Amino acid sequence: MELTGDMRLTAPRDKVWAGLNDPDILARCIPGCEGIEVISPTEKSARVMVKVGPVRARFAGQIRMDQVRLGEGCTMQFQGSGGAAGMAKGQSQVELSDEDGGTRLRYNVHASVGGKLGQVGGRLIDAAAEQMANQFFAAFKEQLGEVPARDATLGGESKAPERTHEIAPVPAAMAHPVSGAPSPLQKVSAVPSPLAVSERVRILWFLLGSLSTGFGVWIASLLTRSAP
Amino acid sequence: MKAAAFDYIKPTSFDHVLDLLQEHGDDARLMAGGQSLMATLNMRLSEPALVIDITGLDALRGISVQNQHLRIGALVTHAEIEASPLVARHAPMLAKAAPHIAHRAIRNAGTWGGSIAYADPAAEWPACVLALGGTVVARGLGGERRIAADDFFLGLYTTALRPAEVLVAGEIPVAEVDHWWGFSELARRHGDYAIVGIAASARRAGTALHDARIALFGVGATPVRALKTEALLNGKGLADINVAEAVASIRAEIDPFSDLTNSTDTKRHLAGVLLQRMLGTSQA
Repeated sequence: MELTGDMRLTAPRDKVWAGLNDPDILARCIPGCEGIEVISPTEKSARVMVKVGPVRARFAGQIRMDQVRLGEGCTMQFQGSGGAAGMAKGQSQVELSDEDGGTRLRYNVHASVGGKLGQVGGRLIDAAAEQMANQFFAAFKEQLGEVPARDATLGGESKAPERTHEIAPVPAAMAHPVSGAPSPLQKVSAVPSPLAVSERVRILWFLLGSLSTGFGVWIASLLTRSAP
Repeated sequence: MKAAAFDYIKPTSFDHVLDLLQEHGDDARLMAGGQSLMATLNMRLSEPALVIDITGLDALRGISVQNQHLRIGALVTHAEIEASPLVARHAPMLAKAAPHIAHRAIRNAGTWGGSIAYADPAAEWPACVLALGGTVVARGLGGERRIAADDFFLGLYTTALRPAEVLVAGEIPVAEVDHWWGFSELARRHGDYAIVGIAASARRAGTALHDARIALFGVGATPVRALKTEALLNGKGLADINVAEAVASIRAEIDPFSDLTNSTDTKRHLAGVLLQRMLGTSQA
């Protein structure tokens, strides 16, 4: 799955950057976050309780920041595991730029989710990811002293994230499950596409059908010919 | 898979249920028909410490007509709605929608209240309640309160129910002689959750439609109303509706989530197809 979003924050860029790097602020903004530990300046681990409808699963995972351009952006790699519920991994890019005395924040996330969560949640993973992203940024704005979270959730000045869906099959063997504790907890699903399989099956039946039809015609022609 | 261990209790009084909810908070889950909850537990997507079975509360059963409203208790099953003469007469849309819900075995156990409280964005009942301008009745320690369907579905699986509140009934204004309605949905296989579905109602004055309410399901985080398309229908006779314009309008005003097999554009297209079909087959 891919999720992209774009929003304007009234806080200056250095303050936004500091916020994105502050484990306390992140812990308060990530929906269901129960704790963030700083392993190194670019690595953090997080525990997150994901509560989306029927799903209540606790994920533990790591976030690593790559390609850090101080104050401008970075790439975050994340992966996490939720035990029996499933796993997720992916990466997210965050870019900051100055705009009218405030900051424009753009992000995009590629993620895949495996295990039960992927199978069951496939239908709604986009909706869940977008909801969590919205919650995160609403809370983040509040932490930066902007509009109350509620307004932001309802739209605020942030542009609705755009969604594109790519099926990214996750090998069942993936041992580390989800936790996108990185900014918006992105989860995505990746149940292997059944289409490829069923398409092949259909072609097989078509071949069998044509063969047997041909065979039938041939037998019939023999029989007709041998008839007196 | 089997569910993780949990405690199970089946109270026979409403106050006991509320006390348990107060005491255990988020660690407790209410169970009515169990058709969604048990699957979630068995797949260990959720591991509550306590499951409170509310099927012992007989006050939550039964279908009745009160004050021009059809009141359907939370524990009424989908199958009971499907077979009820009261529903067929006063809320025919529900009778038409019920067979789309999963399969017979699930309809025999799954409940009206469970479906509305669970609020799956692709489920039939939340969209029907919304399209019919219904009301959700909830009861907590502070007593009973009534929530309009328009204010009830807040987000993905998120409703206006408070943590220690129980949905006791859903009410639908009874269909008068001027009632117009339509319902249609597309699913990969019969009984699957809808790819896209549409439920609509209106009042007819002469031939013209008024107070149109169109609810789409399977296209967002909640059932959503197509407000601009409703405005297009209002005041027009069924024969005068520019169907192409209405279809274009509904496609323009929704922004559906894709799923694993259907893209946003596919769903947008299908929503238009359903509206077109519905305008051709809706019933008075």
